[in-house]
Amino acid sequence: MAEFRKIEPDLSFIKGVMEAGGDTVNRCYQCATCSVICPLSTDESPFPRKEMLWAQWGMAPRIAGDADVWLCHQCGDCTAYCPRGARPGDVLGAIRANAIRYYAKPKAMADMMGNAGGVIGTVIASMFIVLIVAFFWSQYTGEAFPFPEGKVVYHKFLSVVPIDAMYLSLAAFVGLVSIKGIMDFWADVSKGSGMVSYTGTGPRPALGALLGKYLWPAIVEILSHARFKKCGQTLERARGHLWVLWAFLILFFVTNYVFIAADIFGMHTPMPQYHPVKILANIGAIMLIGGIWMIRTMRSQKTKEGVLKSSSQDWILIWLIFAVGITGIGSELFRLIGIKGLAYPTYVLHLGCVATLFLALPYSKFAHLLYRSTAYVYQLWDKDVRAGKAGFGLEKPVVPVTPEEG
Amino acid sequence: MSDSILVVGGGFSGLTAAVEAAEMGYNVYLIEKTSYLGGRVAQLNKYFPKLCPPTCGLEINFRRLKTNPKITYYTLAQVESITGSAGNFQVKVKVNPRGTTPACTNCKPGEAVATTEVPNEFNFGMDTRKALFMPHPMAFPNQCVLDTNGVPAQEIEAIKSAMPQGQVDPGQQPETIDLNVGAIVMASGWNPYDATKMDNLCFGKFDNIVTNMMMERMASPAGPTGGKILRISDKEAPKTIGFVQCAGSRDENHLPYCSYICCMATLKQITYIREQLPDTEVYVFYIDIRAPGRKYENFYKKVKGDDKVHFIKGKVAEIKEGSAPGSVVLVAEDTIGGGKVQQEVDMAVLATGMQPSGAMEKVPGVEYDENGFVLEKDGIFPCGCSKRPIDVVSSAQSATAAAMKAVQTVRRAG
Repeated sequence: MAEFRKIEPDLSFIKGVMEAGGDTVNRCYQCATCSVICPLSTDESPFPRKEMLWAQWGMAPRIAGDADVWLCHQCGDCTAYCPRGARPGDVLGAIRANAIRYYAKPKAMADMMGNAGGVIGTVIASMFIVLIVAFFWSQYTGEAFPFPEGKVVYHKFLSVVPIDAMYLSLAAFVGLVSIKGIMDFWADVSKGSGMVSYTGTGPRPALGALLGKYLWPAIVEILSHARFKKCGQTLERARGHLWVLWAFLILFFVTNYVFIAADIFGMHTPMPQYHPVKILANIGAIMLIGGIWMIRTMRSQKTKEGVLKSSSQDWILIWLIFAVGITGIGSELFRLIGIKGLAYPTYVLHLGCVATLFLALPYSKFAHLLYRSTAYVYQLWDKDVRAGKAGFGLEKPVVPVTPEEG
Repeated sequence: MSDSILVVGGGFSGLTAAVEAAEMGYNVYLIEKTSYLGGRVAQLNKYFPKLCPPTCGLEINFRRLKTNPKITYYTLAQVESITGSAGNFQVKVKVNPRGTTPACTNCKPGEAVATTEVPNEFNFGMDTRKALFMPHPMAFPNQCVLDTNGVPAQEIEAIKSAMPQGQVDPGQQPETIDLNVGAIVMASGWNPYDATKMDNLCFGKFDNIVTNMMMERMASPAGPTGGKILRISDKEAPKTIGFVQCAGSRDENHLPYCSYICCMATLKQITYIREQLPDTEVYVFYIDIRAPGRKYENFYKKVKGDDKVHFIKGKVAEIKEGSAPGSVVLVAEDTIGGGKVQQEVDMAVLATGMQPSGAMEKVPGVEYDENGFVLEKDGIFPCGCSKRPIDVVSSAQSATAAAMKAVQTVRRAG
């Protein structure tokens, strides 16, 4: 006889999903059109039909342990074919927004980064900190504050040493929170997919295999956006997204180059415009602005057409990235033209936006970078484990357990 | 004021309403758009509840109609407008020419000389007919039809001279008749939902995807294959057949309502297959099986117990080309077993739903809802599938009820 299990719906979870843009979830009648229409859904573990059911029933732990939620790029194909207007694509977006909050620690930070007021407040607070540090730095260097004498040279206002002191500690904090989130997520999906070995402990990939066999192919796929490009309804969005991703990579490289060159080898910024790294930095900045503008335009158009819904989370991230790009270019241009009264304030605003974007990584929609990438890695690992190729000594492949509460 | 009753539509509902009202002593005008009475039921191989061929229910109604002088019927006729109110409606009816006289009951000599072939609408285009044709072997009225549309004048002339003198008359003109009636019964029926509208189901793209109504014609002894269930591409008997339930029904992008009959139609068609092709495996992809009532429920249980019939809970949302020539792959998520199912079948049947005629053409003066179903208003009573999707039994019941209401209306007005 079949075992009966009482499901205790987590009503606050259902409410959370409905408030985050998934208010249509209860219209789903489980026909599974979406799972077939989805160009990314796999044969072994199709989605989003099962996620719709779990969300309707308030099975929060089951959804937390589901990597498939993150394999969706919200293209809207399922929503277009849904016979009930249940909008699975938007529900999955809402589930992801909830998952980000679920893994964010402390929660208060996620709540702050989750609304436009909180984000603007964070930008202003960051600018204050930058100004205070710059003031004390001017006491040390003897430069005039807030407008140093002579040509616009940001180095005179705030050199790389105090900037690195601030931003590296911020990066370290964000990094720790992110790693904690990723590890919790990994543990949940391992449990959710029933991956428990005969010893009773969950199998884990060895570090070498994790990096070489799973992380590297996942990164290669992400860098080419091979999957995002399969999304039918919003194909053009993938291009903008790819630009933004590559822009971030370029800017990450440039920042680190400057960090090493300046902090360790004593180079002075700004670099001349013909310097290859400077050229690269400018290309990165233009790609960032261009890419995010493409994303903005496409999302706005598709939202108007009803292909997908957009929440404040989506717009906050878009405008924050846009602000980082435009203030960065603005600082550079005002510096080159030599308008002191605009250059320094723009530079402070840029530093405030960058700090906020750093903070947004684990706490806002930006966290999709963490969890979607992890889901890609997990999917490759999970496939190997099931095929008995993971090499950790399971005698037979793991059989997925039936979805259950807990 | 008039104590006559107009019945719009000569299918099972319209026929029933007409004879019921006439047998209560009222004058009835029956208007049918096609060239024969019997409607969709005439196209079925067998129908519920007794799984008898259509003649078994239609014959008796035709006999009641023929022997009742109170009924005047028009085929190839359409209501152009309805004005007035309960007790006193003015109705304009356009009667199109049949091109033949009542004596013309055997088209063979004319068919032999006719050359132009057009898709036979009665068999959903699975075969062709000539310009002079009998709508179907059991057609009532049993009189040939001359369709001159797109046929060269010489050919018409040849057909005319091949037939006995005076039987074919291409010169007939449409006429308009004005009727004064006290009440109207709308029994304008339904059309199979256009399967080409579901782009993901690829109907029309692959030969061996048919609709459930095409399946009825194929299984019918008078149908295009002489009753044999065959693949359209190679005329071979299929070894695997997949049924795609809710093809267009319960879908906001197509028909937002449940068409009521498609589940039972599929279960019924499975019995055709099991009788004719005992080794053929049958796959049914469904969201929910709706078998309303004890009899239908029992029928479902019987079919479900058959080990050649496999039910998969999950809607087919993609059909693609199969590996074997002519076969197709039905893709669905098995929501009970888990995982996606890619079932290759020799032939797929789309259980397309019912769309009321009112969705395509509306009679001025009649009210419809957003899906094209007729709404009841003072003196105008819908029945059968023009009112909501129902089976033949319920259509007959609703037709009798509508006839009763029509009689009450004319009595009250008179």
